[in-house]
Amino acid sequence: MLTLQLLINGILLGGLYGIMALGMSLIWGVMNIVNIAHGALIMLGAYLTFWTFTLWGWDPFAALPLTILILFVYGYLLQRLVLNLVVRAQLFLTLLITFGVEVVMVNLARMFWSADLRQVTPAYAGANFSVGGLTIPYVRLWVFVTTVILSVSFLLLLERTRLGRAIRATSEELRAARLTGIPVTHIYAVTFGLGAALAGAAGGLWGMLFPITPIMGGALTLKSFVVAVLGGLGTMMGAIVGGLVLGLAESFSATYLGPTYPNAISFGLVVLILILRPAGILGRRS
Amino acid sequence: MRRRAFVTGSLAGLAVGSLPVGRAAQAADQIVLGSAISQTGKYAREGKFYVDAYALTVEAINKAGGVKVGGRPYQLALKLYDDQSDPNLSVRLFTRLVTSDRVNFLLGPYSSGITIPASAVSEKYEIPMIQGGGASGKIFDRGYKYIFGTLPKAEFYFQSAIEAAVKLTPPVRTAALLYSNEAFDRSVADGARQWLKEWKVDKVYDEEYQPATQDFTSILAVIKSKGPDLVLVAGHVENALNFIRQSQAADVNPKMVVFTVGPPTADFRKTLGKAAELAYGITPWLPDMEVGGEVFASASQFAKQFQERFGYEADYHVAAGAACVLALKVAVEHASSLEPKKVRDALAALDVETLYGRVKFEPTGQIAMGQVLIQIQDGKVVPVYVSGKMLRKPVYPTPKWAERK
Repeated sequence: MLTLQLLINGILLGGLYGIMALGMSLIWGVMNIVNIAHGALIMLGAYLTFWTFTLWGWDPFAALPLTILILFVYGYLLQRLVLNLVVRAQLFLTLLITFGVEVVMVNLARMFWSADLRQVTPAYAGANFSVGGLTIPYVRLWVFVTTVILSVSFLLLLERTRLGRAIRATSEELRAARLTGIPVTHIYAVTFGLGAALAGAAGGLWGMLFPITPIMGGALTLKSFVVAVLGGLGTMMGAIVGGLVLGLAESFSATYLGPTYPNAISFGLVVLILILRPAGILGRRS
Repeated sequence: MRRRAFVTGSLAGLAVGSLPVGRAAQAADQIVLGSAISQTGKYAREGKFYVDAYALTVEAINKAGGVKVGGRPYQLALKLYDDQSDPNLSVRLFTRLVTSDRVNFLLGPYSSGITIPASAVSEKYEIPMIQGGGASGKIFDRGYKYIFGTLPKAEFYFQSAIEAAVKLTPPVRTAALLYSNEAFDRSVADGARQWLKEWKVDKVYDEEYQPATQDFTSILAVIKSKGPDLVLVAGHVENALNFIRQSQAADVNPKMVVFTVGPPTADFRKTLGKAAELAYGITPWLPDMEVGGEVFASASQFAKQFQERFGYEADYHVAAGAACVLALKVAVEHASSLEPKKVRDALAALDVETLYGRVKFEPTGQIAMGQVLIQIQDGKVVPVYVSGKMLRKPVYPTPKWAERK
């Protein structure tokens, strides 16, 4: 029974890890930018949910579309005005600039919103139901369902639309994409906007489960990185699979090895995957 | 004894030649208290409590006539740096405070992890440091002579809670112990194991976790499967928040859950809302405790002034920080000198009533003081048990989540 409960816990949280990593994997795959500011974008999404809930009494789930929209615009502008300066530059430069963006965002958040812990507490925050001795919290279930809906729509967007094809083309063969008339600068900005929007959505969902602080993002950047590498860079399904793997690994290692182990296990997994399948679980060899 | 002699002997050796001269030659009639404290990074929240506590107490002392040394009034001044929650940076900043800023005395940082290395600086340069942010025994068991602390011993944190738990009806028989793998919480857990053994409570779960842990659902699933009467959680405020929120969602219902931090803090109760109800906590200080002394006549008067000045409620961190400044003031007056060595001896001999209660240090430098077990009832902190006395009947056993209003 405990094993089954752990399985459910792992899957429910894994979905959230997946959507967190999806945005990072997209930006990394298309632009070759390891976005250190990813966690800061998640933080921003979480605060948007918190403020719409606290100031206007919006349901945190209802606030998601607005969060996604705002983060998309923010990400688009960030890419167009800042990151575009170093696009396709050495990895080190892009690391530095996204790190800079992260520092600025975190410190602005601390200035404006203080270092206080915040929590989104809708009336149903602690509600749960039991099936055959298993306890399933409603919020976690809905968060999981939302991540599934978001992931599926995002995959459809990439696979089925003209925009998605343009993004994939840019990612696979930059020069050919340019030759066929794809406005690459615009596509890059849209891609970054989409990545930011996904991060924002992940933040909104994360904020329903965990406390919100200006510095929450650092650990989440690291988690997204782990998941993205686990699943395979640039493959969107990979991020989802990686998320589930990480969720399950954390859930079981915390129980059977001890609660100090989850980080060691998740990074150990990354090392293992890099040795056995350097391109990630679902990655293609390039 | 031998160890202490060795440590201080060798440290004194180190300090020769590096001891700054002319320390007292500050701006005329000013005593400068220096500290590096976390204003950014993971301890920014708690760090702010001390920054504000130091500021208010220094202001209040100056307004009340300052510190009288040999009949001459001195004004207190603060020199603060931000250690960014980084122990390495903390050591560098305290060294700078002593060697280049030449402050007279040191106030402590926040957290045991930072206080342990920082106190080595005060010991090396033989400048007294009095701190209210670190309670781990590891700060005080090295035979240092220049470190003083106003937080009670970590090993005693759960003493009153466990004592109370076995005296309630029905008494607690089994317990789960969960603690973060930081110096302070490990000391808390060491103590808890002893108290559990002494009161013959069966320990069914005993695990440490990383302080950065957000998701406690797996830990909770295991605890739930073991079904302990009492759950003891030693960690940071964020851990306590997550633990409570997730126990509600996972429907975990022990008879009593006690946290080392969180429940006494107003912010914590506000953030959690109703879910914080009936949680137990411990605190060395409450604003409505009947204590008081010079500068602040009572705990409640201090709490009121603090609230007016900073717009949030003072908790025990704040009071412990204020007590540091006050203890230093009284010690300097008793020593009637700004000589670090003399003030150190005056601190060691100190026995004074303050807004924080009686400040008297054990030979190790740590305050001799117990903890009050508290429970949150109707959003308010209610004292339950202290040193053998049941103060108020708690709501016990804690009703199941589903049966709560």
